[in-house]
Amino acid sequence: MHIPDGLLDPLTTIVLWIVSIMIMIIGYFRMGKIFEKEDSEKLIPYIGVLAAVIFAFQFVNYPVPGGTSGHLVGGTLVAVILGPWASVIVLFLILVVQSLFGDGGITAIGANTFNMGIIGGLVGFYIVMGIVRILNKTNLKKELKVTIATAIGSYIAIVLASFICGVQLAIAGALPIQVAVPAMVFWHLIIGIGEGIISALIVFYIYKAKPEFIATESILKVK
Amino acid sequence: MINVRRYRWPLISVFLIIGVLLLMIAIGYSIGVLSDNPDGLERVLIDNNGESWLESLPSPWIPLLSWIESDYFAGTVGIIISVCLMTIIFYIIISKKNRTKNG
Repeated sequence: MHIPDGLLDPLTTIVLWIVSIMIMIIGYFRMGKIFEKEDSEKLIPYIGVLAAVIFAFQFVNYPVPGGTSGHLVGGTLVAVILGPWASVIVLFLILVVQSLFGDGGITAIGANTFNMGIIGGLVGFYIVMGIVRILNKTNLKKELKVTIATAIGSYIAIVLASFICGVQLAIAGALPIQVAVPAMVFWHLIIGIGEGIISALIVFYIYKAKPEFIATESILKVK
Repeated sequence: MINVRRYRWPLISVFLIIGVLLLMIAIGYSIGVLSDNPDGLERVLIDNNGESWLESLPSPWIPLLSWIESDYFAGTVGIIISVCLMTIIFYIIISKKNRTKNG
């Protein structure tokens, strides 16, 4: 879902840059709970590992029926691990690195951050939070609740991001809206399955290997 | 002086991730777990406007690392840059937040 240079019109490009920068500035001030703890410095090397995981999974595409392919976006996954506000910054930085290789345009980093970081991460996190609240009424184990919620939340967030991306394509005049939105949503309804499965497996693995790295448990209010 | 032992497991993890990525690039396409096909957005644009239209979109720059043709090298360099960039930025954020908190 990496928008290349030259696809969006200048106004949409500028507006999405401004929105993304504003959200990152707000995010810096809002992500206090997790990063103001005395032992928060211990998180730094693991944030590096997370960066490697996200870059690696975004670098390779898995096959999707119908002659297309998908790759992990990871917004919701990062949000569940590091919190919704940090996820926007993480995705922005990953997108900057990818643009150096020509994967996603440099002028489109604002739009890509909006779609993958803000919709995928921030919005995805609150979808996960809502699902966790529903699952809190069941007797499932804590890690299963978060894993299931991450799978569903990632899936919904990726489909929502594709819907927004379709609207952006239409505003930019690349495609008529009646073509762009259904086509984007259709493909991502299939591609999103991979996103949900990979995100859930990574969260489940972290719960088994290093559960304290899921820094958002208190925000998710998982019981 | 950086205490390397303290960062042993994160460093091992990063090298493992690079190793697994290189292995996946080497065998993933032949065993069918990876695909060269266009992704969702590219598919929509190619289906409606054609591949040549997508390739002719104007860009204000030549991506700095686009000269790297090998997937193995690009994956390794990308991971190293991502790890360094993310570590530095979050080190600054966490240090700044802790300093503000402690007055």
